[in-house]
Amino acid sequence: MASMAAASTSLQARPRQMVTAVKCFSQGSRSNLSFTLRPLPTRLSVSCAAKPETVDKVCEVVKKQLSLKEGDQVTAATKFAELGADSLDTVEIVMGLEEAFDIEMEEDKAQAIETVEEAAELIEEILKAKA
Amino acid sequence: MVDKGQVIRLCRSLLRAGRQLPDYNIREYAKRRTFDGFRMNKNLTDHSKVEKAYAEGKKQLEVVERVVKVYLAYPPKTKNIMELKLH
Repeated sequence: MASMAAASTSLQARPRQMVTAVKCFSQGSRSNLSFTLRPLPTRLSVSCAAKPETVDKVCEVVKKQLSLKEGDQVTAATKFAELGADSLDTVEIVMGLEEAFDIEMEEDKAQAIETVEEAAELIEEILKAKA
Repeated sequence: MVDKGQVIRLCRSLLRAGRQLPDYNIREYAKRRTFDGFRMNKNLTDHSKVEKAYAEGKKQLEVVERVVKVYLAYPPKTKNIMELKLH
């Protein structure tokens, strides 16, 4: 009985499974090769360059600004437009982020933000430059 | 010809100018009023109306900057209760 390890996806914090080949010799004439899954210690596979805490904080601010219900999914790849935000809402979100992180974003960079990920990365860039 | 980018930039400058106000009440009002003003005129299609609204926005930006200078001359001595983080 062989089971294949799932291909790693782009989702963060998915516990990766390691495939170990276990050779077991059955009593019959055939030797079976069976794979078992062994869970690896959970590692955050970073698909975006920003820290998860930053992304989480950004998601929180976004949820509050757009008054989203608890069940709505906000992940790093979520575009603000998908959540029903127009350009004015995006400005509001960016202003809220500036206040939450106590930073000042440049006009052109702030205007280019479209996803949660971009916002988190820009925030980290500014925080690093400030430190 | 006023394009969307200019409008967004005007909104942002108004918000940034309003942020410097020391008094909580007027600061929140400035934020509220900018959003209300821009949302009210969000769906304008008539070009002349858009230009008029944009010109009015620019005037209001001057007003805010002037008001900031006045308020900074006499800042409030105590913090408003809404600004205190009470948990």
